[in-house]
Amino acid sequence: MEHTVAYLSQQWRDEAEKRLKAEISPEKMKHLTSSVAYVYVDCPDGRDKYLFFKTENGTFAQILVGEGEPPDSEFRVTGPYDLFAGLTQGKIKSQRALMSGKLKLRGNMVKALKLASLADRINKVLEKIPARY
Amino acid sequence: MAKLHEQNDPYFIDFPARVSQIQKEMAREGIDVYLGSRLRTLSWISDAFCPWRSYVVVPPEGLPTVFTFVIDAARIIDESWLDEDHVLGYAPMGGMDQITIIADHIKAILKGKRGRVGFETGLSNYLPEGNLTHFEYEAFHDALEGNHLVNAHHIIDRLSLIKDQGTVNRFRRASRIVDEGHKAVKEALSNNGWKGMTETEIAGIAALAMRRAGSVWEWSFTGGNEIASGYRTGMAGCACTPATTRKLKKGEPLMVDIHAMFKLALGDHAHNYFIGQATKRQLWHAKNFVDIVSKTLKAYRSGASPLGIAEEMMDFAETRGFAEYMVPGFEHGIGMMGDEWRIGMNDGPMPYWTNPEHCYQEGEVLICAMQYACPDEKIGFRYENPILILKDKCEAMSKFGLRIEVIE
Repeated sequence: MEHTVAYLSQQWRDEAEKRLKAEISPEKMKHLTSSVAYVYVDCPDGRDKYLFFKTENGTFAQILVGEGEPPDSEFRVTGPYDLFAGLTQGKIKSQRALMSGKLKLRGNMVKALKLASLADRINKVLEKIPARY
Repeated sequence: MAKLHEQNDPYFIDFPARVSQIQKEMAREGIDVYLGSRLRTLSWISDAFCPWRSYVVVPPEGLPTVFTFVIDAARIIDESWLDEDHVLGYAPMGGMDQITIIADHIKAILKGKRGRVGFETGLSNYLPEGNLTHFEYEAFHDALEGNHLVNAHHIIDRLSLIKDQGTVNRFRRASRIVDEGHKAVKEALSNNGWKGMTETEIAGIAALAMRRAGSVWEWSFTGGNEIASGYRTGMAGCACTPATTRKLKKGEPLMVDIHAMFKLALGDHAHNYFIGQATKRQLWHAKNFVDIVSKTLKAYRSGASPLGIAEEMMDFAETRGFAEYMVPGFEHGIGMMGDEWRIGMNDGPMPYWTNPEHCYQEGEVLICAMQYACPDEKIGFRYENPILILKDKCEAMSKFGLRIEVIE
């Protein structure tokens, strides 16, 4: 049986960092310098959690998971755990999720549009991590 | 990215100074944040054409922020003097709809305190005015709970009344562009060119010539270039004639009312013709019209009023026996894109209509606009021309020439 890690655990974060750095080059990330915090509400344990990415010139400089308030970021996306989990598993497309009104974005919408394809690129890597949701 | 013109550029407008003026007025009236939604306000502050529903939030100090539909935000960033951090897009996504994103922005400016938020509402006969809708008002009222929303459009109206040099120069250029359109139309009509031609073709000929000369849009919401022929020139009280596919006919009048836009300044000049021939009676009507336009242009100066001019001109028309054919209005307001129709401030007896006693001041720009209509004889003429009010006269910006020509 395949070894799995708990979604949003420290082990999952470590695996995500390893895979993202290996599979997405700075060129593929368009040498982006930015940061985004995904805030998960209504997690299975009843708490709110976050997943935070910071990129510098296209390199993943910081990937954090945690509980409560995330670090300051250029973009902040808040939504229910189930929706984010569906996105990470590739069950829900990001456009559908955004237009459902269930995700709330804070940040410059015009810049966010430019980055939407990068978010999809990241999710495609993350969905391959064997995880328990 | 289009930024502020150099100060020695003839079309230079000091937009940061405009914003400072607004902020001074806000402070004087105890308004903490100004939420503009009218097209005239967006043009006047951003120097960009905002065709989609847009808003501008002016903080008590610092730069304003424009909010527009996300599909047009990048272009506005490209054309406005404001940068990408001050032109933001809204979209049908959670937290990104226009009410949420703007209310959050206003709350961030207010830093948790309760304040007075100026907004724009009123009444307009101009479709794209852009007053806050009832739904928008209620939604902002709820989203900004605890804050006091006050109608404050008079701040922009007052500040934009007298045109600065850059704006005047833009209007002059737009008018010269319209002259190019008229030259092209006249050339196309001449030497039997009018035969088989439709009103829509004339509108297109003018549009092409004006676009070649630098116009970006036949800006009028009355169907772009307004062309009327035959009975359509003389419909009762009618001063709105989107071009149709009606073909020109010999012996009929033709009215060519064309529009150009240059850096949000609006060219608007109407010229009239007879096709092929004109009867003595038609030429009598034409002389009446040319004479009253000529007289009206001489009447505009600082200190004159719409009512004073209307009374004087209607007396003249009565004396000459053509008062029944005159639409008794002689002008409409004009400013940067979105500012059309009402003259002066909203301080007349009829809310949101021109105050007939408005006292013209040097530096105001308006459209001298006159319509002559005789439905029974299927004849009519229109004159429109942007004019700049000066101390003891006015400057008519379009130079195409006042006459009613018989196209042979």
